[in-house]
Amino acid sequence: MNYFTSNHVEERRVAEEKEEEDDEEVNDNSMEVWQKEYAEDRSWESLQEDESGLLHSIDNDAVQHAQYRRRLRNLSAATAASRIQKGLIRYLYIVIDLSRAASQNDFKPTRMAAVAKHVEAFIREFFDQNPLSHIGLVTIKDGVAQCITDLGGSPDSHIKTLMSQSGCSGDSSLQNALDLVEGYLCGIPSYGHREVLLLYSALTTCDPGDVMETIKKCKRSKIRCSVIGLSAEVFVCKHLCQETGGSYTIALNEFHFKDLLLEHAPPPPAIAEFAVGNLIKMGFPQRAAEGVVSICSCHKEAKVDGGYICPRCKARVCELPTECRICGLTLVSSPHLARSYHHLFPITPFEEVSLALLNSSRHRLTTTCFGCQQSLVPSGNRPNLRVACPKCKQHFCLDCDIYIHESLHNCPGCESLRHSQTI
Amino acid sequence: MPQVKIIAKNFMDMVAALPTLKLDKLYENTFICEAVLRSLPPLAKKYALQLLYIEEPVTAKSMEEWVLPDGFSKHRVAIDRLIQLRVFIENPDGFSRKKETSYKLNPRFQVNLQNYTAHGGVLPRESMSSSITVRLPTAEELDSYALEQWESFLLQLISSGQIEKTTTSFSPSMMRIFQQGLVSQRDREGPRLTESGFQFLLMDTNAQLWYIIREYIINSEDRGVDSADLISFLLELSFHATGQAYNTSTLDEVQRSAVKDLADLGLIKLQQGRKESWFIPTKLATNLSVSLSDSSSRKEGYVVVETNFRLYAYSTSKLHCEILRLFARIEYQLPNLIVGAITKESLYTAFENGISSEQIISFLQQNAHPRVCDRAAPSVPENVTEQIRLWESDLNRVEVTPANFYDEFPSKDVFEGACDYARDNGGLLWEDSKRMRLVVKAEIHTLMRDYLHRQK
Amino acid sequence: MASAPSKQYSDDVSVVMVLLDTNPFFWSGANNTTKVSFSSFLNHVISFLNSVLLLNQLNQVVVIATGYNSCDYILDSSTSESINLSLGNGKMPALCSKMLQKLEEFLIRDEQLSRENLPTGITSSLLSGSLSLALCYIQKVLRSGRLHPNPRILCLQGSPDGPEQYVAVMNAIFSAQRSMVPIDSCIVGAQHSAFLQQASYITGGVYLKPPQLDGLFQYLSTVFATDLHSRSFLQLPKPVGVDFRASCFCHKNTIDMGYICSVCLSIFCQQRKKCSTSDTKRNSIEIYNHHLLPVAASG
Repeated sequence: MNYFTSNHVEERRVAEEKEEEDDEEVNDNSMEVWQKEYAEDRSWESLQEDESGLLHSIDNDAVQHAQYRRRLRNLSAATAASRIQKGLIRYLYIVIDLSRAASQNDFKPTRMAAVAKHVEAFIREFFDQNPLSHIGLVTIKDGVAQCITDLGGSPDSHIKTLMSQSGCSGDSSLQNALDLVEGYLCGIPSYGHREVLLLYSALTTCDPGDVMETIKKCKRSKIRCSVIGLSAEVFVCKHLCQETGGSYTIALNEFHFKDLLLEHAPPPPAIAEFAVGNLIKMGFPQRAAEGVVSICSCHKEAKVDGGYICPRCKARVCELPTECRICGLTLVSSPHLARSYHHLFPITPFEEVSLALLNSSRHRLTTTCFGCQQSLVPSGNRPNLRVACPKCKQHFCLDCDIYIHESLHNCPGCESLRHSQTI
Repeated sequence: MPQVKIIAKNFMDMVAALPTLKLDKLYENTFICEAVLRSLPPLAKKYALQLLYIEEPVTAKSMEEWVLPDGFSKHRVAIDRLIQLRVFIENPDGFSRKKETSYKLNPRFQVNLQNYTAHGGVLPRESMSSSITVRLPTAEELDSYALEQWESFLLQLISSGQIEKTTTSFSPSMMRIFQQGLVSQRDREGPRLTESGFQFLLMDTNAQLWYIIREYIINSEDRGVDSADLISFLLELSFHATGQAYNTSTLDEVQRSAVKDLADLGLIKLQQGRKESWFIPTKLATNLSVSLSDSSSRKEGYVVVETNFRLYAYSTSKLHCEILRLFARIEYQLPNLIVGAITKESLYTAFENGISSEQIISFLQQNAHPRVCDRAAPSVPENVTEQIRLWESDLNRVEVTPANFYDEFPSKDVFEGACDYARDNGGLLWEDSKRMRLVVKAEIHTLMRDYLHRQK
Repeated sequence: MASAPSKQYSDDVSVVMVLLDTNPFFWSGANNTTKVSFSSFLNHVISFLNSVLLLNQLNQVVVIATGYNSCDYILDSSTSESINLSLGNGKMPALCSKMLQKLEEFLIRDEQLSRENLPTGITSSLLSGSLSLALCYIQKVLRSGRLHPNPRILCLQGSPDGPEQYVAVMNAIFSAQRSMVPIDSCIVGAQHSAFLQQASYITGGVYLKPPQLDGLFQYLSTVFATDLHSRSFLQLPKPVGVDFRASCFCHKNTIDMGYICSVCLSIFCQQRKKCSTSDTKRNSIEIYNHHLLPVAASG
């Protein structure tokens, strides 16, 4: 089964590439828009015919779950290798290529629009997972890199600026972008993890000088550079990522792009040389009483509802986490710190319960998922798949498996038994 | 012919319309109380629950403090509804001493629901043990039975010149009552669906069911049956467990005759054993007390509309095919797939029959295939919905408004004053200042006349 | 007659996950200063469950017992056999009898587990476990289709917080927040629960500690039976001020300002040369755990 699917994916990829060429040859005119939609969607591939001629769709759940488990295993292997320290305080610049290559419409409607859409989701996810981190946005257009938002912790202001970007033109310049970002990231404190994420559409870079020098400079400044390419692999990008310890990936299609982008949301493993462990001064502001009028330092106007009061300078801020506008103290609340703890205590991946065990000892296996009480007894053509926690030996359905590892970060089985609690 | 309005009228409006005495009698039945409570707006339900264990009347003023200012209109609606259904009794002490409005729960209602919360819901009657009934239909069998029965009823309803050789137990006259307003059969050309008939077909099953049931109840008095009895039986029926068998001998005379009719509608399935006979409520029956057009009871959609106006319906039902035929050209019929196209011609026929573009669009959206709904794009492509609307507006290029024409104004001033006056009243259609002529809507003609008289 | 316009009322359909604290240490009376016995508490809760089911045919209640040593489902109104089959005599309605039976089995099992373990002096119940179970169940509800009832969680908690569950409880709270599931809390014990204060605050639920428990049902039906849709225009208990200050790992003082290790997020009240936690060579999990306790306690 597995062999078949992976093969299938390969074939599809080849077919897609071929199709792209075809598309360019016929220059979009021979097909109506609606025909193209289906030609690219290939919806008929997910249909199969049964003996009486009825059409059914293929059940994709098992395939998806297999992919998910593979990713999870890779991830946990990576964390095991690099100890469990994580770079929890990150300073990330997202560099968006808005050169003319970004106006191509192999992503619908254009690369630029697709990128903007997914970057928005990424920014939200990023701040959800890294509440103490900062993001800045940089665009490359007409060979010039421009910083559109400074490093900051508020998702909304980034997204607002991002959405107001329009038009893409000119060449792309890797060196200009890196120089600009390097200049900004030099100034951040040593405990922060400096990262750059390039979303690169172009196949070329048009630089004023030697880009290799810039790459060396980035390496010296301990900036981890990662690139997601939207067209094809480019040597200079690959070199950049190898040198600086980042990852280089190419998006096959929009969904793949989204997945690749979201992989950058969890904090990367901290490598000791990259960032020095350090103690940072932070404030834990208290919520101001309701109904007291105070002047808000972020909006510069009087507000009635309770905000938070900076413990050092007593200025009022609207939301946490943030940096005090007056004295620059980082303001957080204890739940913000707690939000990051699951990165430090990841739960072990569940093991698939082998078919042999299922068949041999069916009489004493649980019939329902421990988490959601869904029946685990195979019915009809649903595959007989279940997973078990290696610690508490409880069985779970595949949906719960994904939910537990992606969102909950608790094993319900271990949590509901006192003696098995290790934490 | 009396015009029957096809509106999604709530069944509880019918209950509310019953005279006070009958209504109070209905509340002696726990199931009625339960059904009435469930039919209330969320806020009203909460109020009823909140007052459940409070014996003293609560003043209207103190209840107003429960809501935030934004919710005040909802609060009014809730209170009105509660009083209308006599769940709340206003000023229970006859006249109140402090001249303040206060409310109290209807005592019978209160006692019944107190029992309910203390002891939980019970079933209206014991189901029969499986030793007698041997083999009961499975849930799937029952569902398909109900659907089949209901669809064959509908088919008969819309396509029946052949009422006479009907298979249902409904008398032809009953059938004609149902058809009243839905089908017209004046001429030799045979029965034709009327405008409201089409609208009826495009409604979801629950709404259709209620329409028929309502007609059934309204006409019950003619058959010598008390409508309150029928209402209480129908509501009670909705609290039976789907798929369980209940002995027919537990029913009284009225109910037994009703049961036969309901079986024809697919609400229940009748089975005959060696000695006993029993009825099995289907999903249609148990969903009766769910408030009308509750989206959660809706069945799965089956229609896929593509941007090229082609329409694919994954359905084996003949009724679905007939419904689609109302506004689309059916091209192929495969075992579980109907392929058609929405064309200008097919839509024009639909419009001529009085179906509006909005109805067609909302039908397509409501019955969209789940796969289509999962996609981010709208379930019916925008170009198709726009085109359907455009084609309809094509037919309505000329708008007819009854109007009055004024001329021979004595002076420019009077004319302009009249123009302004008409404009202020929103009735000015056309003016020609050169020749001092003016056309205004007929509805403000009297106003206009008065105005002009005053000018003299 | 002028009737109220008919509308779609389907938006008040809800799934209520009730987490029932069954901790024997709490109910046995040593800590129970509220003078409400477990059985009368259960009476109120059963009435509440019945009234939730009464409000809408499609409403669903699930009860999870939060025990001392384990957690388990004890009632799921959506499974057909729990409601439809009344018992032979038809006297005791199926819903509560079935639940009481399962509850009893659960309590016996829970007690057996505690015999195997030595008493540790911990008196908290396993809130993290029952929250995790409830969230898994809610995910199943959310997956069930485009039209699903609105889920919410109600914690009926009596025993004190277990600081060792801090991370797990916080994880569950954040996951609930992401799925937009409010966590309501009704405290039947003597002290406030810092965990549940945070849970209700972060997820937008209602936190209430009834001043007296004789009329518990009235509190439950007035406040916690309110569906999510109606909450937007009803007066409900205002969120209490939640103290989000942390306490330092070194002296366990509650602090306004502190120093945080960039690698492990430990909190200190004074500037130090090195973070003492992440520099040690020992397995860090244990150390983190040790340091997390005060944060939880201060809440």
